Amino acid sequence: MDVYKQLYIYLRQFTSFTDEEFEQLKKNSILKNFRKKELLIKAGDTEQYLYFIAKGLIREYFIKDKQQVTTDIISEGTITGSVSSFFMSARSNYSLEAMEPVATIAISRDKLELLYKSDVKWERFGRVLTTHFLLQQEHHILENISYTVRERFFHFMDNHPDLLQRVSQKYLASYLNIKPETFSRLKGVLVKKMAKRN
Amino acid sequence: MKLQASNITMADMEKALNYMRAFMPLTVGDMEALLQYCEWRYFDKRKIIVKEGEVDNYLSIIIKGMVRKYIVVRKSDQTLQLATEGHIIQSEISFLTRTPSIVTLQTLEPTTMLSLSYDKMQEALEKMPGGERLGRMILTNMYIKKDERRFARASMSVRQLFTDYIEKHPHMLQRIPQKYLASYLNIKPETFSRLKRLAMSGK
Repeated sequence: MDVYKQLYIYLRQFTSFTDEEFEQLKKNSILKNFRKKELLIKAGDTEQYLYFIAKGLIREYFIKDKQQVTTDIISEGTITGSVSSFFMSARSNYSLEAMEPVATIAISRDKLELLYKSDVKWERFGRVLTTHFLLQQEHHILENISYTVRERFFHFMDNHPDLLQRVSQKYLASYLNIKPETFSRLKGVLVKKMAKRN
Repeated sequence: MKLQASNITMADMEKALNYMRAFMPLTVGDMEALLQYCEWRYFDKRKIIVKEGEVDNYLSIIIKGMVRKYIVVRKSDQTLQLATEGHIIQSEISFLTRTPSIVTLQTLEPTTMLSLSYDKMQEALEKMPGGERLGRMILTNMYIKKDERRFARASMSVRQLFTDYIEKHPHMLQRIPQKYLASYLNIKPETFSRLKRLAMSGK
């Protein structure tokens, strides 16, 4: 499917667009592709873009005691970026890495600000999008605090059944904050469950 | 309890304006326009403002007092936020998606807040000049605060979390019952006492 068509379908959940409005958005955005392992942003740099991920998979991480800690795994069909850094024009705490070849539609802060100034319609769009980021973040926090390790594992696998194949186990374990041994054991339980289902 | 405007002092008004200015530049005129949509609310100490299962109808900023946001997990409550003067407090998911809250909001001190109901917010977004922008700024700020906390949690040791909090909020150690602060920082009570002793002895 055409990447802009994908974007259009995705954004329709937030607000409606006339053809002209969508054209305006299209004109103010650019296509940016990344090779596997390439960084969309490096920790310490300032995020200039918000990305709609049309294809591929992205990992958010930071370095702690020389180890990479994976804090998010983002698959196609969502908007991402180092969002706080983008909002504040401040240095990013996180790096974002393409785990597969990634195709995006990107909009820069400057262009987005121009849209905001052009019409209150875009301000509204910006507010609804920010609401979406906030809700996502809050869900994430509440799930992390209220799920047991086992619940966290199965909840994630239920929602992202494809990622067990697509993402290396060490990143998944790091993201879910589960020890590698425990992760392997839970994976065993999952595989048995799936075999039973088939 | 809803407060009558006549019970609001000039000092409260001034505080409200200053706290709101942390989100975006506002003139006194802007603030007056915004106040048309808001109501002042007062709660005694230890009152439940939003119960688990209820829909939260308000976006509030605390003018004076303290509110704790918590979630009950396997029969014990986990403190998610300790909001004081100038902080935004609400059950975000419940308010924004109009669904029953999974968190509870409770005052820890007598609390005065400036609140915007969901319906009035919709009205203000539509009618108030700059309303959409202000709404976006508030949400952006809320997002950034959450993200800062997420990063602190993931990147710092228990001891660093404690020290960082005390440095940023030096008065809170006196103001908040220790168990809530320990729960907020996700530190065991014994560890918390030990860290507090260390902090007090100036090490």
